[in-house]
Amino acid sequence: MLLSLSWLRELTPYQGTAQELADRLTMLGLEIEDIFNPFEAIMGVVVGRVLTRQAHPDSDHLSLCTVDVGGESPLPIVCGAANVAAGQLVPVATVGVSLPGGLTIKKSKIRGQVSEGMICSESELGLAEEKSPGIMVLPETCQVGTPLPEALSLDTCVLDVSITPNRADCLSVLGIARETAMAFDLPLTLPEVAYAESGPEAAKELAIDIEDPQQCPVYRAKIISGVAVAPSPDRIRWRLTAIGQRPISNIVDATNYVLFELGQPLHAFDRAKLAGNVIKVRNAAEGEAIVTLDGQERKLTARDLLICDAEKPVALAGVMGGANSEMADGSSDVVLECAVFRPGTIRKTARRLALPSEASYRFERGVDQVGSVYALNRAVALMLETAGGTARPGVAMAEPKPFTPRGIGFRPARATMLLGEDMPEDFCRKVLSGLGCQLSETDPSGVIAVTPPSHRLDLEREADLIEEVGRVYGLDRIAPRLPRVSKALDDVPAESEFGFWSRVRTFAVGLGLREAVNYSFVGHADLDILCLDAACRVSVANPLSEDQNVMRPMLAPGLLATVRHNLSHGNANLRLFEVARVFAADAMSETSAREAGRLGIALHGLRHPDGWPWPKDELAGYGDIKGIVEALIAHFKLPAGVYARDDSLPWLAPQVVVTVGGKRLGVIGQVTPEVADAYHARHALWLAELDLDALRALADGVKRGFKALPSFPPVRRDVTLAAAAGVAVGDVLTAIAEAKAAIFEDVLLIDAFTPEGTDERRLTFRLTYRHPEKTLKDKEVDKVHEALVAAVLAKLPVTRP
Amino acid sequence: MSGLSLVAELEGLVEACAARLDRALALEELEAARVEFLGRKGQLAAVMSRLPGLDPDARREAGKAANAVKERLTALYDARLADLNRAAMDVALAGFDPTVPGYAPAAGSLHPVTLVTAEICKALEELGFSIVTGPEIETDYYNFEALNMPPEHPARDMQDTLYISDSIVLRTHTSPLQIRTMLASKPPVAVIAPGKVYRRDSDLTHTPMFHQIEGLLVDEGVSMADLRGTLTAFVRRIFGPKTNVRFRPSFFPFTEPSAEVDISCVLCGGKGSTASGPCRVCKGTGFVEILGCGMVDPNVFDAVGYDTERYTGFAFGMGVERVTMLKYGIGDLRMFFENDIRFLSQF
Ligand SMILES: [Zn+2]
Repeated sequence: MLLSLSWLRELTPYQGTAQELADRLTMLGLEIEDIFNPFEAIMGVVVGRVLTRQAHPDSDHLSLCTVDVGGESPLPIVCGAANVAAGQLVPVATVGVSLPGGLTIKKSKIRGQVSEGMICSESELGLAEEKSPGIMVLPETCQVGTPLPEALSLDTCVLDVSITPNRADCLSVLGIARETAMAFDLPLTLPEVAYAESGPEAAKELAIDIEDPQQCPVYRAKIISGVAVAPSPDRIRWRLTAIGQRPISNIVDATNYVLFELGQPLHAFDRAKLAGNVIKVRNAAEGEAIVTLDGQERKLTARDLLICDAEKPVALAGVMGGANSEMADGSSDVVLECAVFRPGTIRKTARRLALPSEASYRFERGVDQVGSVYALNRAVALMLETAGGTARPGVAMAEPKPFTPRGIGFRPARATMLLGEDMPEDFCRKVLSGLGCQLSETDPSGVIAVTPPSHRLDLEREADLIEEVGRVYGLDRIAPRLPRVSKALDDVPAESEFGFWSRVRTFAVGLGLREAVNYSFVGHADLDILCLDAACRVSVANPLSEDQNVMRPMLAPGLLATVRHNLSHGNANLRLFEVARVFAADAMSETSAREAGRLGIALHGLRHPDGWPWPKDELAGYGDIKGIVEALIAHFKLPAGVYARDDSLPWLAPQVVVTVGGKRLGVIGQVTPEVADAYHARHALWLAELDLDALRALADGVKRGFKALPSFPPVRRDVTLAAAAGVAVGDVLTAIAEAKAAIFEDVLLIDAFTPEGTDERRLTFRLTYRHPEKTLKDKEVDKVHEALVAAVLAKLPVTRP
Repeated sequence: MSGLSLVAELEGLVEACAARLDRALALEELEAARVEFLGRKGQLAAVMSRLPGLDPDARREAGKAANAVKERLTALYDARLADLNRAAMDVALAGFDPTVPGYAPAAGSLHPVTLVTAEICKALEELGFSIVTGPEIETDYYNFEALNMPPEHPARDMQDTLYISDSIVLRTHTSPLQIRTMLASKPPVAVIAPGKVYRRDSDLTHTPMFHQIEGLLVDEGVSMADLRGTLTAFVRRIFGPKTNVRFRPSFFPFTEPSAEVDISCVLCGGKGSTASGPCRVCKGTGFVEILGCGMVDPNVFDAVGYDTERYTGFAFGMGVERVTMLKYGIGDLRMFFENDIRFLSQF
């Protein structure tokens, strides 16, 4: 909320600086975001007196003036306004001054005549919205040479106060004045309201009919007749301008003025446009419509609240008036509404229709039902003052649900306990009564019955009162103390998901991968490119953009976007990983989605770091990414993975499914050129995506244990096999293992090549044999080895070259 | 022939050999010299072959002398060999370049958000908190309602929400973990919950996804002083021992009292200005906002069935990106999710 310091000073005599006030209010929970001068742009404009005026020799609409701006000598100024005259006090923008419209005044020659400034109109100064017909003529009270904002007593100091949702009472000058008065021990004075009334009683001319007291606990209306709709006086227009509001007319401005001053929204109806002598407050019928005063037709639901006359809806309660009843030029009789509506109702309507307003903002946070009486009178007085007319005696009103103050039990001892700092009873009493609460005597059990004032709707429970005591004491004064965190002896938490992920991350970093963090949402289009199942997708109902409208079912789209970003910035060699959740629709889940942890890996470009002594021109390939997966599996002491070709994802080829201990761990593959191209990849782009939940379950099942080191030496035998096309290394390894030779310990592929002109691969394996209890003799090993090789030859289309 | 002349001849060999060894500048020349003097057909052998022709006394005398000369020749040779070897080594070492690049394996790195999350979690774990995690897609109930934000509550405006459906949201904070944790266990509770959160907000200072860490401590007798102590200790761990915290009253629906926590500015040390003018990090205030906290609202305890008279607790939550930006001096929030390796490799 924008708060004018001079407006505040009309309610409480605060004499300190804006900064001191800002600091104090901030520490009371009213954060000041900014302090600024809304008239900064015209601070360089000064009051000048036109000494002489004569017609421009070469123009029939320009005048040559000399203007005293308090300087050594008068300034020659060429002025184009018809109303300029000698003797006037006028605002003058001197050379070097920049006006709100962006115009910077320069010394210039206008049709041959020197001009050293500009006499300004109201609109040129940003003080009026519509183009002014002529220059602004200032009252004689202004001093020549004074900066204009000062001369006009404009509100040059505005504080931007951030009001938290609980402090509806502070959405007004009055509310912040209350806090200021309390903080600096100052009196609070409300403007005096007095006006004459005449004619028939308002209540006799207008009946108020409230259908549901819950929706509208009170509705008051004053009738004023004979007003003249016109622009507001300058001080009201400029004050509203200072806080960012557009002045409209004396009637509307009076309601806005009171809204900002006291926090009570009001609405002025043109009485002539109201049918019958009744105001009805009722819920809309489903599908009913009203044209609001912005000219839009609004379709309503039964949850919206309407203000109606005898025949038709005339306002959307608390949100916006109706076009059919608004005050216009020529309107003369006003029905001025001052009501309180149910916050939730107003909020729902304002949100659904996307019609936030200063009024709905206050209604949905709660307005002071008791204070509304004064607010209504204040608005009437302002209208009578600025628009003339006569107020009818009394108020047309219904208050089916009067404000009932509630008593709250408050224990100073509880405040001391919760705040961790001694809060003596007399201090608590001083704070709470300073906030306007009524306090009872302390009962024998140490409880004070506290009745908060009607403007503090947020004070409902003891905790709220303790907060007030703490806030005024200063939360920042509470001495810090480290808690003793007590835990049950059997509270031994298992490793958290975060902990397991940390181990995976550390491992990946050790293998030279850089961690990426991508948004969890991608675009449906990204998933379409990757042909990912539409049925399982979790869509965002109100995404910020088309490329963030679905939760990612795989890490791949995000990693691909990271690859694209890097390649387009010249980072060609990429070794990336990401650890995050993926999402799939799941009707059985309480959140309608299933979340799973994933490790994604992407490799692109050189296999090795760039530069000597690493080999050049070797690109990362299947072996590199598979090696990382193998190392990960080994790191968690799992049995070796099984790698089988697959084609379920059409954008990965080759594509390999990794299984460990019968559990699917994930997929490895090369992104097909067409898809890789869409992500700017020039080299092979390899991805792996592993299921961290599966990995964690597998890793949790591993029991680490010690095996005695072998006492006897191993014997090794190499064998080279020529494997026909289609025989996988894994087939041979499996056949060797399945030969189940008694002293066989291990096998390692040590060479593989395809001789030119053949499609047979030569595979050399090194087999290790060992006996647990004796040193093997060559002859024994030879026999076993030959039998093992023979078994492999018998099983697979392999030969010994 | 007399023994004496033979002895004199042997002595002569020493000098000749020494001169010859000195002339040998390479190992091959040295070997040739060795063969010439000490070889089976060398000069020493030639002299010694004449020993049998002497009478026994002279032979013994000359034999002794011959052995002594052999030892001296061998010593001369060994010394020269060591010299030449040392010289060869010097030549070899002279060409050794300690500055050639090594076979450094590819370097990996943790994302700065991960680094700072881990650091924060570690600091809090050492204070006795345990880590919990929970779903990122949440029910409206856990994300709002149980946290004292019933439907139509204006506090819901504080966070623009991304919805999956009317009752399912992308969690807007890690606070649902407060509810999930308390429903699952009885006090005392001391947990922290790191994770991704989502808001419908995207501009220079907001991204639609970011990371938070939530903390919750519930026990008998927990007070705001404990909260201040915990956060002070934690902030000093992360930002250094001179860091001060400032509590400003604020509002969160699920805590009462609530406070925003500012820390003394990491750039200007709280002075509000640097040599080059007003501090750009704290905009001259000397403080930067870093987290929100408060005492658990009794309505939240009601929602999870905790006795509001017996137990009190505090909760706090902070944005990891914000902490990371302050800690590492990162100016642009968007860099976190672009994953440019020139950015990633700095951490
Ligand atoms: Zn600073």
